Amino acid sequence: MSKITLVAFQWVPPFAQGLVRDLRVRWALEEAGVEYEQKLLAPGENNTPEYRALQPFGQVPVYHEGDLTLFESGSIVMHVAQRSPVLLPMDQAGRAKVLQWMFAALNSVEPHVLNYTALDTFFANEEWSKGRRPSAEKTMRGRLEGLSRGLGTREYFVDRFTAADLLMTTVLRFMRDTKVVADYPNLAALQARCEARPAFKRALEAQMANFVKYAPKAA
Amino acid sequence: MYTLITMPWVPPTFQGQVRDLPVRWALEEIGATYEVRLVDDAHRESEAYRAKQPFGKVPVLEIDGLTLFESAAIVQHLGETSWLLPADPSLRAQARAWMFAAMNSIDPDVIALGDIDHFAADTAWGRERRPELEKSLRNRLDDLAQALGAREYLVGPFSAADIVMITVFRALRHTALISQNPALRAYRDRCETRAAFRRALDAQLQTFQLHEPSAA
Repeated sequence: MSKITLVAFQWVPPFAQGLVRDLRVRWALEEAGVEYEQKLLAPGENNTPEYRALQPFGQVPVYHEGDLTLFESGSIVMHVAQRSPVLLPMDQAGRAKVLQWMFAALNSVEPHVLNYTALDTFFANEEWSKGRRPSAEKTMRGRLEGLSRGLGTREYFVDRFTAADLLMTTVLRFMRDTKVVADYPNLAALQARCEARPAFKRALEAQMANFVKYAPKAA
Repeated sequence: MYTLITMPWVPPTFQGQVRDLPVRWALEEIGATYEVRLVDDAHRESEAYRAKQPFGKVPVLEIDGLTLFESAAIVQHLGETSWLLPADPSLRAQARAWMFAAMNSIDPDVIALGDIDHFAADTAWGRERRPELEKSLRNRLDDLAQALGAREYLVGPFSAADIVMITVFRALRHTALISQNPALRAYRDRCETRAAFRRALDAQLQTFQLHEPSAA
């Protein structure tokens, strides 16, 4: 396999540490047992024209594998999963089911989770955020209820651990400063089960190590 | 054998943007015939339906024995076994990346803006929140136009990625955000003039017309 390079940030503020989306890709690569190098962006480097040509929205991660360059964490996880039986079943129907739950994580759940957490993370001082909270919480909880029902008594979304559980766990992590996930015991158990995987721990440590190394000096 | 599950009717504001549209469009592009099964609001709350679609949404597509939800996953799945995804592995990966970009980097702000305009236009929070949200979405769309550049489609020839992106745009029809962006407007018009798109849209609208609630 060609050399793999993952592009991530040198440092992010504490509220985002352990949540930045390169975590998903690191985790997938750890599960697949694939080695990778990292290229870390200094502040502002994500907004240069050169970087925007690789990632139109100035986000991380970006993934290089030989001549191939990919963006969007979900698509990179899918790309890694396609060559790893750990992350994706071999049969077409099983693969379709995993894809279904991956998009459910990123389109039916994540946007509503972030709408809610952003009220505290980014908009706590905005007058409008108080008025917005009840409807944002109601929609978010509706989606988690649906998700909880969709998982039911199963341990994983599709038969066994797959890329779908990986993405869903990273979405549930966005709620870590709240007690919301605990209200859905099967989702909390799924998150704990997935976060106990050695590959997850290695991925999280790898991300956090950069933030320690590049922490801004105290003024 | 394909069976598409969708709603019999939605209010006029949402007609032409219900998410069975990308699935119908993909099926039309690959020349597949499909049956339609309609589920009303009450049925979408039932245990039986929630077992197929946990969030109570549409569409669901039944493909022989396989039942799938999430419109982008369905379109990508249809692409895996048809020309809708490029055969070249690198282009194929790029097309998948754009499908995720449409649903995870563009759609959330599009939906958030629509939620204010359709459900919270007369609330204080909606009025205060809207300008900043619109600005951030406008920036996203500018970035998208920049990335599209002089190309006709997101990746090589027309693909599943364009189906998903263009149907995300449709939830902005009540605004000028796409039509004021010359590159995206041209891209949208190029895709929406495809015969398969017209057939898919007509089929969706015809269903709603047939099930129009009678005036009280």
